[in-house]
Amino acid sequence: MNSYQRVMGTLSGQPVDKLPVFAVLGAYGGKLTHTDLRTLFSDASAYVAGQQALQREFGFDLVMTPFVYTAISEAFGGETAWSDTQAPNMKRPGVRTAEEVLSAPLPDPQKSGLLPVVLDATRRLAGLYKEQVPIIGVLPGPAVMPSLIIGMEQWLETVLFDEVLARKLLDHTAPFFVSWANALLDAGADCLVITEGMAAAEIAPRALFSERFLPCITASFAQINGPKVLHHTGGCINHILDLLPGLPGLVGVAVGSRDDLAEARRLIGPDVTLIGNLDNLSFPSASADKMSELSRSCLQTAAPSGHYILANSGADIPLTTPPENLRAMLAAAAAYSKERGSIV
Amino acid sequence: MNPHELSEKLLAAMINADRTAAAALIEQALAGGIGHGQVITDVLDPAIVRLGRLWEDQEMSLAQNFVASKIAEDTLLRCIPDKAENSHTKGAVVIGNIEDDFHSLGRKTVGLFLSAAGWDVHDLGNDVTAEELLKKAVEVDACVIGASAMMQTTALNIRKLRQLIDERGLTDRIKLAVGGAVFNWRPDLVAEVGGDGSARNAIEADGLFMRLQTEVRGEVPT
Repeated sequence: MNSYQRVMGTLSGQPVDKLPVFAVLGAYGGKLTHTDLRTLFSDASAYVAGQQALQREFGFDLVMTPFVYTAISEAFGGETAWSDTQAPNMKRPGVRTAEEVLSAPLPDPQKSGLLPVVLDATRRLAGLYKEQVPIIGVLPGPAVMPSLIIGMEQWLETVLFDEVLARKLLDHTAPFFVSWANALLDAGADCLVITEGMAAAEIAPRALFSERFLPCITASFAQINGPKVLHHTGGCINHILDLLPGLPGLVGVAVGSRDDLAEARRLIGPDVTLIGNLDNLSFPSASADKMSELSRSCLQTAAPSGHYILANSGADIPLTTPPENLRAMLAAAAAYSKERGSIV
Repeated sequence: MNPHELSEKLLAAMINADRTAAAALIEQALAGGIGHGQVITDVLDPAIVRLGRLWEDQEMSLAQNFVASKIAEDTLLRCIPDKAENSHTKGAVVIGNIEDDFHSLGRKTVGLFLSAAGWDVHDLGNDVTAEELLKKAVEVDACVIGASAMMQTTALNIRKLRQLIDERGLTDRIKLAVGGAVFNWRPDLVAEVGGDGSARNAIEADGLFMRLQTEVRGEVPT
C-alpha cells in the first residue's frame, strides 16, 4: 500500500496497512536543498525539489503544494516580508477598506503574482507523485480571505461593526476562493486543506463563527469539486466541531494541540478524519524521546476509533526542528501500526 | 447616574460588543458634568479592570478583545480634547513588534489599553529593531519596553533586545515586557527570550507594566 492509498483509505474509512503520518513541511524542504526561502516559494522547480528531498529524507504520507498565503495578498496588491527563517508574511495589505475591495475586479488565479507558480508546482508534484503520494493543496479559507486583502484589523472592524458590509465582502471574495481551490484541484491536488483562521477559538467565538462565517464556508465548499480538510491555522477548534459534519465534501478536520482528542471525536462524530494534535512549538525544543511519547499519546487516544492521521497541529514546522524529532513521529506511528495490525 | 453606575453599564456594553451603547454612555457621562479625565479614570478604567477579572480564567478571543479595545479607543478619542487637564501619567513606555514581525493587532490593542490606563505610550509600529526600541526608551525615559511577536521565529529576535539592555547596563532601569500569541501557547518562551514578564491579553498589560515599573523604582510590590 502506498501513501496515496493509505491516506485515501483512511479518509474514506477503509482498512489500511499502517496509520498515515503528516507533517507540514514547506520551508523545511529549502533547508534540505540549501535553498533560500524566497527562491523556494517563488520558483516551482525549487519548491518541488524541496518536496522531493523531504520524501527521500522522511517519507511522510503527503506532498504539499506551496502554502505561501502572501501569494494571495500579493495578487490583491499587498506587499510581502521575506525572511530567512520562516515562510513569508504579509507586510502591508493591498487594499485599505472593504468598500475598495468591492469596487475592484478579483484577480485571475492563473495570471496574478505568484499564484501561477503555485499551480506550476502543483502540476509538477502531480507529475511526480500522482496516485503514489497524495498531493495536498493548502489554501486560506473563505472567511479569513478578506484579512489577506485588507488586513486583519480592518476585517475584524468590518465583521464586528458593519455586518452588512462584511457579508457583501464575503460574497464578493468567495468566488476567488472557489476559483483558487478548483484551480489547485485541476492542477493535480488530490485533497485540499483549507486553513480557516476564523474557525479558531482564539480568533472568533462560536456564535460569531456560526452566524457570520459558517454560511459562507458552507456555500463555498459546495462549489469545490474535491475532498476538503478544515484546518484551524494554529488554535483550538473543538468549540465549533459539532457544527462541521455535513459541510459539503468535508473529509477531515485538523485538531489543535490544546484540543482534547477524545472530545474532538465525540463532537465530530465517527465518519470525519481527525488530523493532529502534536504541538508545533514542541518540535524544535523537545527531545526525540519526548516527540515519540507525545506521538504515542495521540495515537492511543485517537487511533482506536479509526479515521485518524498523526500530524503536527499548526503551520509550517519550524526550521530549527531536529530531523530526529520528525523521524520519532514516523517511528511511533509505525510501531503503533505493527502492534495493532491492520488499521481502520 | 454616578461614575460607578456608568462604569457598570459600560462594562455590560463591552461584554455585549455594543459599541453604540458604549458611546451613548460616555456622552451621558459628559453631559452629566463628569469631566473628560474623570470619564477615563472613573468610568473607563474600572470597566477595563472588571473585564480583565471576568475573563481571567477564560480564553478571550481576538474578536472580543478587539471590541473592548475599540470601545476604549472611542472613549479615549472622545475625551482627548481635555486629556491635558489630567497632567498625571503613569510614565512613558515604548512598544513595538520586534524585527520581522508584522502582526500588529495585538500590539495596537495593548497600546490602547495602556493609554486608557494612563501610560504615555510610544508605539513604534511593526518590524522594529532592538536598537530602535532601546534608543526610543532611553530618549523618552521609559521604564518598560513592550516587545510583541506572534510567531516563535520572530519571538526569538527579542533575545537581541534583552542582550542590548543588559550590555548597556540598563537592566535595572528598563524592564522588558513581552507578549503575543506564541507566549500564551508557550509561557516558557518568556524566560527564553529574556522577558521580565508577560500578559495573556491586552487588559492585563496595565497590571504587568505597573509591576515592572515598581521593580524599576525598587519599591516593594503591595
